Amino acid sequence: MRRKRKGIKRQDMTDIELNIIPFIDVFSMLNTFLLFSAVFVATGIIEVQVPFLSNAPQPKEESQRTLDVKIDAAKDKIQIITEFTKDPKNEQKFDFPNTKDGLARMHERLVAIRQANPTQDKLTLFSEDDVIWDSISAILDSAKFRKQTDPILAVKNEKTGAMEQDQQFLFPKIVMGSVIL
Amino acid sequence: MASVGGGSKETLTLNLYPMLDIFSILIVFLLMSYSTDPVSHDVNSGLELPDSVTMVSLDELPAIVVTKSEIFVNDKKVVDVVNGEVPKEQLGESYQGGIRPVYDELKRISEANKRIVAATVNDPAQLGKSGALTMEMDKGHPFKLMKRIMLSAQQAEFVTFKLVVTRVEN
Repeated sequence: MRRKRKGIKRQDMTDIELNIIPFIDVFSMLNTFLLFSAVFVATGIIEVQVPFLSNAPQPKEESQRTLDVKIDAAKDKIQIITEFTKDPKNEQKFDFPNTKDGLARMHERLVAIRQANPTQDKLTLFSEDDVIWDSISAILDSAKFRKQTDPILAVKNEKTGAMEQDQQFLFPKIVMGSVIL
Repeated sequence: MASVGGGSKETLTLNLYPMLDIFSILIVFLLMSYSTDPVSHDVNSGLELPDSVTMVSLDELPAIVVTKSEIFVNDKKVVDVVNGEVPKEQLGESYQGGIRPVYDELKRISEANKRIVAATVNDPAQLGKSGALTMEMDKGHPFKLMKRIMLSAQQAEFVTFKLVVTRVEN
């Protein structure tokens, strides 16, 4: 007599399938939750400063002859003004239309200014009241950030005082000159 | 003719594996996008941000939100905005060109921040430091409005502004 095998008999074996329905349920719930809470607009920041009065003594650097770089923004025109803090002041003005092409040319000029004055990393922006924020942000973009095709510039490390290469910024410090009492 | 009626002995099964593959890829993508952004922030539907090539990520939620029609400080509506300007009657006792209600709210935040810093930091140099403020503003507003808000913040001892923009490729 044939002995019965322990366990599952061959003739009773059917196709074994993994029940994936609970797995799909979990995935659906997770997907729904993630899609609802996801943010698809990538936001970033442009950091600027406003001038402020301080009782602290003037830093020694102020007594040196340094270059002041200013941008005057109007609705249809942008002007770069460069001037040394001490004589000979050598004031120079460069005008550009407030257009995409004008901003590109302004950026090229700022790169040239920055290359000629590697220690100068601060720029002051003045704007007229009727210039819209969209236009100001485009000017800030051109003045603050380095393009991929631009040369890598040096930036002073605030902690160590040493000059370091910066891949990201053209003029890292931007002061909103118009915001003053 | 094939039929699915009770008479037919064929069983139809739906192949769910491709759907599982899609779900898995979608979940991996969503989880990855979660981990790359330090702060994820939903932009208010009442405003449109300007584009920028900045690579600097948002590190804190905006304290000031200026939509097309309102100004919020920490999610609290402070004043209205009409045609890019705050109505004269809402400017309050104008403080050096600023907006009084905005100044009052920011001063309250500044004082609270100072108390926290005083209680947690021992370095006197840190105590005197001015604060930073994150601001989100509709791209169509004029600089005059931005200047008023910045002046109000300046009076409340905020001198660094992190202006929120939409990031685009350089």
